[in-house]
Parts: sequence; C-alpha cells; structure tokens
Amino acid sequence: MHGSSATGGASKSRAGPSQPTDASLKRKRGFFQKDLQHMMYGFGDDHNPLPETVSLVEDIVIEYVTDLVHKAQDIAPKRGKLLTEDFLFLIRKDLPKLHRCTELLSMNEELKQARKAFEVDEEKIANAE
Amino acid sequence: MMKDPFEAALEEQNLETPPESPIHADDEEIINVQPLAEADDYDGDSNLSFPPHASSSVRPSDSTPVVGSGGTGRGKEEEEEEDEEENMDVDMRRVPSGDPDKMAKMKEILSRFTDDQMSRYESFRRSGFQKANMKRLLIGITGTQKISLPMTIAVSGIAKMFVGELIETARIIMTERKENGPIRPCHIRESYRRLKLEGKVPRRSVQRLFR
Repeated sequence: MHGSSATGGASKSRAGPSQPTDASLKRKRGFFQKDLQHMMYGFGDDHNPLPETVSLVEDIVIEYVTDLVHKAQDIAPKRGKLLTEDFLFLIRKDLPKLHRCTELLSMNEELKQARKAFEVDEEKIANAE
Repeated sequence: MMKDPFEAALEEQNLETPPESPIHADDEEIINVQPLAEADDYDGDSNLSFPPHASSSVRPSDSTPVVGSGGTGRGKEEEEEEDEEENMDVDMRRVPSGDPDKMAKMKEILSRFTDDQMSRYESFRRSGFQKANMKRLLIGITGTQKISLPMTIAVSGIAKMFVGELIETARIIMTERKENGPIRPCHIRESYRRLKLEGKVPRRSVQRLFR
C-alpha cells in the first residue's frame, strides 16, 4: 500500500542532494493546513476536520500537483514554463477543471487590464493637478 | 496604495450576499429558515444534496459524474468580481455564467440557506491556496524555473477542484458505509483510490521506484 506521505519527499530527492531535500520536506509539513481546513469544511467535511485527515489530504494534494507538473514538463519541449501545458493535460480528462481554469485566467487578464487602466487614470489626474 | 484585488475582494466578502448582486442584496436575501421539505433533506444529508443545486444552476458543463467539480466552478471568481476598483468591468463580470436565469436561481437558492449552509458555502467560496505558498511549492517542484502568476492561479484552481473531488467522494463513501462525523483518513484513501480508477489523478507512466 503506497504511503502517500512519503511521495512528497521522494519527488524532491530526485531533484537534488539529500540535505536541502530534508529541509524542504520539513517545510512541506502543515504547508497548506489552514487553507485546507477551510476548504474541506466548504466541500462537506466537519467544521473541524480531523488533523490526520487534513495532513493526508495535504500530502495527496502535494503529490497531485507534483505529478501534474512533472507530466506537464514531460509534455513540453525544453523551454520556459508555459501555462498551456497544464491545459493540454486537463483537456483530455476534465472539462469542469478546464472551464474553471479558463475562467480564472481570463478574470486575471481582465483585472490586469483594469488595473493598468486605473493606474493610467491616476497618473492623468496627478499630472493634471 | 494599490491593494491586491484578490485581497480586497476577500475583505469585501464579509457581506453574506451572493456576489452578483453586491450592494442592495441585503434587502432581498433574508435568509429564511423556512420549513421547506428540501431544507430537512439538506440538514440530514451531510450536504451531499447541496452541490448538485449549485452545479446545476451555475455550470454550463455538468457532464462529469463527480458533482463537486461543477459546483466549485465559481469558487474564486466571485471574489475577484467584488473589487470595486474596476467599476467599468463589474457589469461584465456580474454575469459570470452569462445567464440571468442561473443567477436568479442562484439567488433564490441562497436565500433559502440555513445559517449552517451559508457558513459552509462561504468557506467554499472564500477558501483557496495562498498564492505565495503555491508558488513556493511549484518552484520547489520544477527546480529553479520562474513561475508566472497566471500559472499559480491556474494550479491553485485545479488543486482546489481536486480537493473538492476528494472530499465529496469521501462523503459519498461515508454514506455508503453509513458512517457519520468528520471524515477519516480511511475515507480519503478510499476516495483517492476511486479517483485513481476514474483516471482523475495524473499518474506517472514510469513507476516510481525506491520510495
């Protein structure tokens, strides 16, 4: 039976020497704990989820993200990290996630545009005075 | 000083109103504890019936059997909508699904929520992975690559939906086993196993040796 708690560390140890790995392993404990507690409650768990459950979910999520990123790196040719790789991966399986991603990204774009426009307006006002 | 719109939006969400109708919604959204037949089902059913309503009224693509992924579709998006700096864009974003019918349904449903449901829904909307943490994790995974902000946002959204699938499948398992109370690790493990079988978990094509 795979212990998912070990996998977070295992993927790191392939990347570099063992000492920084241990340090980053320690950092990964309780990494997302507070966020996860709220999230789990929102999705249907108890008001106070069990700590071992939160730890397990955190390990699983870290492993999930790790595998996702590794797969994306496998797909992509050797260049800078692109967003589209994640998408390509998800297209095949998960339509809701894909839609959600596109939504989030387009919202981010809008915000960026609006923020820029806002700053330009501020400058105009400042210059006009 | 320009605040991060995401943070600003989070602070503004202290109002317990559905984000599509920001200011005057308080008048309409009296949270009645009406003795509807459905309300009893909600309370007794450990919120399993809750996501289907959210997803049916919001998501255009409800094709997946995992109910949660549809419902989480509007998770973080509404937080960003409430940023009042971008007034010109608010109208566009106030119709997230592009459908006033769905919005009306959503408001109707939200007005019928009990306090418990409302608090849970609030957690559902507002929770998320901190961008800084996720970025650190991504950098740790990729090595030294520079991680762009949109990428962090995308991965955070994906991860949140994955957590949703995990938790909801775990709840389904608990109902099958007729168990109550907080979710235990055994449920999560079983849920993870099932998700793997469904192919929702990315698996490395090369077996990971020497764990």
